[in-house]
This record gives sequence, C-alpha cells and structure tokens, in this order.
Amino acid sequence: MSAVTINRTTDDSERNPDFILCHQPPDLFGVVVFVSILAAAVFASWLPLQISIVTVFLFAGPHNWFELRYFLMRLPVRFGRSRNFFLTAFAGLGVLTLAYVSLPFVYNTQLWGDEAWSTIIAGWNTALLFWLGLLVWLRSRQKRRANWTWTIPAGLALCSLNWLGPDSFSLALVYVHPLIALWFLDRHLRRTRPAWLRVYRRCLCLLPLVLAAMIWQLTQSSPLPDSNGLFWRITQHSGAEMLPQVSSHLLVSVHLFLELLHYGVWIIALPLIGGLAGARVWDVKTVPVARHPRGFPRVVGMLLIAGFAAVVVLWFGFAIDYSTTRDIYFTVAMAHVLAEAPFLLRML
Amino acid sequence: MKALLFACCLVFSATVAKADLPKPKPPEKAAKYVLHTSLEIATDPKAYEAKLQISESSLKELRAALDGAPGNGAIVGGIALSPPRTIIAGLLMFMAISIAGILLARSPSFGRTQKTVGAVVLVAVLIGVAAIITRANAGPPGSYRWRNLPQALAEGKPTFGGVDIEIVPDADSGAKMRLVIPLKK
Repeated sequence: MSAVTINRTTDDSERNPDFILCHQPPDLFGVVVFVSILAAAVFASWLPLQISIVTVFLFAGPHNWFELRYFLMRLPVRFGRSRNFFLTAFAGLGVLTLAYVSLPFVYNTQLWGDEAWSTIIAGWNTALLFWLGLLVWLRSRQKRRANWTWTIPAGLALCSLNWLGPDSFSLALVYVHPLIALWFLDRHLRRTRPAWLRVYRRCLCLLPLVLAAMIWQLTQSSPLPDSNGLFWRITQHSGAEMLPQVSSHLLVSVHLFLELLHYGVWIIALPLIGGLAGARVWDVKTVPVARHPRGFPRVVGMLLIAGFAAVVVLWFGFAIDYSTTRDIYFTVAMAHVLAEAPFLLRML
Repeated sequence: MKALLFACCLVFSATVAKADLPKPKPPEKAAKYVLHTSLEIATDPKAYEAKLQISESSLKELRAALDGAPGNGAIVGGIALSPPRTIIAGLLMFMAISIAGILLARSPSFGRTQKTVGAVVLVAVLIGVAAIITRANAGPPGSYRWRNLPQALAEGKPTFGGVDIEIVPDADSGAKMRLVIPLKK
C-alpha cells in the first residue's frame, strides 16, 4: 500500500512542479474555510452596499492580476497537441471580449428596439456557448477515457433557455461566475494538497445551507436605497430591475457573498496553497513558462508589469470617479470570465 | 274609428310598458391584472399625511405594462411577445432532448431499467422546467409575507411583500385607490 502511495506521489511531482507533499492535518484548513464562508455571509448580509464598494475598490484589480499570473503558471511552453485548443481559446476570447465591449456602444446608438436588443444579447450568449462547446469537444479529443458527449444536449438546452430569456441568462452568468473559482480551487487542491480535498468538499456542502439561510433571512428585508447612481448600479448589477419581486437587499447580499469567496480564492487561497512558488508572486522565475530554457521570461515579466500598472490605474480611476470606473471595469472584466473556461478545462 | 282608437291605445300602452323596463346593465368589467411588483408598508410617526411612494423604475414598468410594452416582466411575457425567439428556443430544446434521448438509448453503460428511469426523469424535468417558465410563480403563497403585518404595524416596523397591481373600473373602486392585504384569520 505504501509503495503504491510513493509511486503515485512521485508521478504527481513529475507532472506538477508545484506538487508539495503535505503531511499537516487538514483540520486547520477546514476551520479557515468554514470561518471564511460564515464571515463572508455575515458581512455581505449586514452592509451589502458599503462592503460591495470597498471590496470592488480593493480587490477587483488585484484578483485579475492573480488570475493572470495563475493562467501564466498553467500555460505550456509549447502548445504541441493542444495547439488547436489554445488557438480556439485565444481567438474566441478576443472576439467575444471585443463584441461584449462594443455592446454598450451599439446600445447607445439607439438604433435597436427592445426586442432587437434582446436578440443581440441572445446572439452573444449563443456565441459564448458555441465557443465553450467547441473547447469541450477539442479537450475531449485529448482525453480518450472521458465521455463528454452529454455536454452537447446540455449546451443546446442552455442555448434554448438563453433564447427564452437572454437577460435572465446573462444575470445567471453574473451569479455563476464567482463559483468557478471554487472549482479551480478544488482542482488545484486535488493536484497539490489531496489530503485537504475531502475537508474542502465538506466545507462546500455548507455553501447551499448558508445561501438558504441568507435567502430565508433577507427575503422579507426592505429594498436597498438606489437613490444615487452608484447604489443604483450595484443593485442593477445584481438583477434588481429584472427581479422586482425579490428584495434588492437579498440580491446584492448573495452576489456580494459569492464575489467575496471568489476574491478570497484568487487572492489568498490559490497563491498560499501554491507553496513557495505561489507565495513569491513577484518572482517571474516562479512561472514555468518563464523559467524554462525555451520560455519567454521577458514577455511574462512585461505582462505582469502591465497587469500591475492596470491595477494601479484602476485604483486611481475608482478614487476619481467610482461609478464610471466600475462600469468600465465590469465591461472589460468579461475577458477574465472567459479566460477561466479554457484553463479550467485544461485542469479537468 | 273604434278600431283606430283601440290600436292607438295598444301602441301607447306598449310604449309605456316598454319604457318602464330597467336600463340594461352594462357588461361587468373584470379587474385587469397589470403587473406584479414588491410593496413595503411602513409607518412614520413624523408624517401628517399617508403617502404612496413609487420608485422611478416601478413607474416605468407600470407605464410599460399599461402600454402593453414588454417591459421587464416575467419570462412568460417575453415569450408571448417574441415569437421568433420562442421558435429558436423550441427548436434548440427539441434538439437537446432528442440528442439526449439518443445518447441515453445508445449508451452501453446503462441497463434497460436505468434507461427507462432516465427517460422518465428527463420528461419530468422537461415538464417541470416548462411549468416554471410559463407559470414562474412557485414558492410560498403571497399571503405568507403579510402574515405579521398587524404586529409589525403596531411595533412600527416595515413589512415587505409582493403585490399585484390591478386596474379596476371606477364603479367598483369608487374612484379611489385601495390596498387589499391577504391576511388570514
């Protein structure tokens, strides 16, 4: 039994340079995750608008930088057999982001009626689902044992629901996206700290219970004030206009709770669990694609510096005009939402 | 001459008799459901007059609903007013169900019983989703949220719940606004 274990860990170490044998009991990790989930729920329910403003100001930019670094860590030096997968991923990422960023300009031309606008939104969502389907298909070709054919009817069903309610589908993306970070953490733990995986998954079971408690507690709460432009933006982002029968306090709190977990995973959990390589986030040489003899240290370094500059610019923007910067950020940030898909598929 | 007089009397009496008939009742106009939205009932000890405050977005929705515009109502409204999108959605759902059925039938890892159970679950999910989309009013009844209203009013606390906005004929409402709270005794 022990021989099997030793062989397995050796294989894992070879496949994953950041694999660290961990003999510490996972209880402390479980306690930290448990307390974090509860704390996020309490703060999000208590002062949703105020904490949303502070959270986005402080963590929105840095969490994108940490994501960029994490994706660079996962990028192979040569694409090899995955060439088509990565080409499709980057092409789709570029086209879909450009199309998404252009949507506000299209809307401002006022050439389209409500119905035509819904069709445009449904069209973009369909393109997104098609791109995801294509990536799943390309990835499934590399995994002979896996049977991912069920994703075809699932994708078509999602497409159908999207055409029934394009705005509802877009709102669902807003709520589902933060949960993807938890999936990343699950896969990362499986690779680097398998001993912690069981505790982590038990903590995840707490999530629906916490959400149910929040809904139960806030469902009868008064709607949040949306008297000024900023508060109005925050409530709209959480779907207050689309769901007038649901308290905006509940919507903003649930969305903020998920966002807090999302930021926590990207900024705290993943870098710390990554061990020394993850802790020295400023060191370009900790990124495999830069460390490799045939790698690209300058490109990686420039990307990380440019990302850091963007974070600083974002902070200045928030300090000068919070509302406008928030609008611009959440439009451009679609790129990081899309980028998560191919890298998550690579980890499956 | 007698015959002429008799005829005149007959016609006159008939006219009097007919004129005595009550005016036919106009067909009863039913209350017209316009919009479902949220309502908060709150007390203010400093106020001297009862106030009805309507948010700009609610007013916009109400106006859109009255004009028959799509607005931001329930999903079913969007379906009814957008045949092309409904057709596309239907075709895609048809393809999804068909392909899922084929995959299920051809899957070697499932036995006949499991396939039957899978098919039943698939149909149940389909019907459930269709019911949610078209009815979209699942959950506890609206009266549940108003159950503590008297107590909350006595304590000066606000109460929050759903409300259906209805347009009723003037004859029924007495040309005034009326708030009906579904309180169970």
